[in-house]
Amino acid sequence: MTEIVQRRRIEVLVDAPLARRVVEVAKSVGIVGYTVLPTLEGEGTHGHWSDDQVSGALAKVLFLSVTSEPKAKAFMEAIEPLLESHGLVFLLSTVDVIRGKKF
Amino acid sequence: MNGIESLLSPVILFFVLGAAAAFARSDLAIPESIAKGMSLYLMAAIGLKGGKEIAELGFSTEILVAAFAGIVLSFILPLPAFFALRKFGRLDPLNAAACSAHYGSVSVVTFVAGMEVLSSAGMPPAGYMVAVLALMETPAIIVGLLLAKRTGGVTRTGGLFHETVLNGSVVLLLGSFMIGLVIGKDGFVPIAPVFELAFRGVLCLFLLDMGLVAARRLRDARALTWRVASLGVLLPIFNGTIGVLLGASIGLDVGTTVALGILAGSASYIAVPAVMRMALPQADPGLYLGLSLAVTFPFNIIFGITLYTFIATRIIGL
Repeated sequence: MTEIVQRRRIEVLVDAPLARRVVEVAKSVGIVGYTVLPTLEGEGTHGHWSDDQVSGALAKVLFLSVTSEPKAKAFMEAIEPLLESHGLVFLLSTVDVIRGKKF
Repeated sequence: MNGIESLLSPVILFFVLGAAAAFARSDLAIPESIAKGMSLYLMAAIGLKGGKEIAELGFSTEILVAAFAGIVLSFILPLPAFFALRKFGRLDPLNAAACSAHYGSVSVVTFVAGMEVLSSAGMPPAGYMVAVLALMETPAIIVGLLLAKRTGGVTRTGGLFHETVLNGSVVLLLGSFMIGLVIGKDGFVPIAPVFELAFRGVLCLFLLDMGLVAARRLRDARALTWRVASLGVLLPIFNGTIGVLLGASIGLDVGTTVALGILAGSASYIAVPAVMRMALPQADPGLYLGLSLAVTFPFNIIFGITLYTFIATRIIGL
């Protein structure tokens, strides 16, 4: 029978030039698996934004990772000081996964 | 060349079409990957052309003098811009520093459009101005970051050198310039159908996209006050005039003098915003990108190129 376990799913919406910083924070707390996804457009408190490959400065990407509870907590504490200064949107949720050892 | 002729250039008309379509909320769009491909093509083409011309004409002290003038302009121009943005624009020091770096650096597309307009008018700038363009990308970034450092706004410096010096547009411009230099006129002939014949058509389509991008950016530019937006017009006039005066004083021909004026009057919206976003995350990207891309870039394309040409022909023609 397939074993299902719970892990923590981290999502961070970040401006493309700053994505490297989020990846560095993730690696510093031991997170090894992640995916960076492109986005198309959206709107927030600073107005409308859209993918813009000409300048690239306002293009946003979504950092996605599924990891264990302790690593997710360590990531949250490490990323918190950057949320305001770097204009990040941080989401944390619980997901069911199979092959729990991978995360 | 008079102002009307310049405004009726297909390059400018396609830009106006793009802007008008965006203001009318048309669904006209050029896929981002195609726009990116066109910008790479244009940079490779002007780099090759510049290198080929140097290979034909040889090196001269004029090239060194023009390069030095370009570097000096890029170092100096952010300073009055910073002052004006602080005092007249009423920006905080961090945002003023971030914006000022854009005004010392350069816009490749404005330069390419200017080259096209000048060549059509029989005043082609010297090929080495492509190298001057590449040299002017970086110094202003350093000055902008130093100005920001005084405010404590620089949060990190790791990766900035890589991002600044090995920026994709700088690598492609200088790389294709070197290739043009190596292959010379004979080596350029077989690839000319791609890099020369198609150039104007691709430039028109790219300017169409830039018109769409600039107008949509202006619509979304909530951060721009009337004071800051007016500096988006006044700074290029001031900087462009300084560039033209400097070009004329060092003995450049009219076309090359205008090219230096265009470089001085233009504001970066490719290399600098990405570096500023990394180095100064607290600065508002909507402000500096809105100013350079939505105000200064359209001004330069529609009026600035003609204005700098007018000033240069009056000064050098005297």
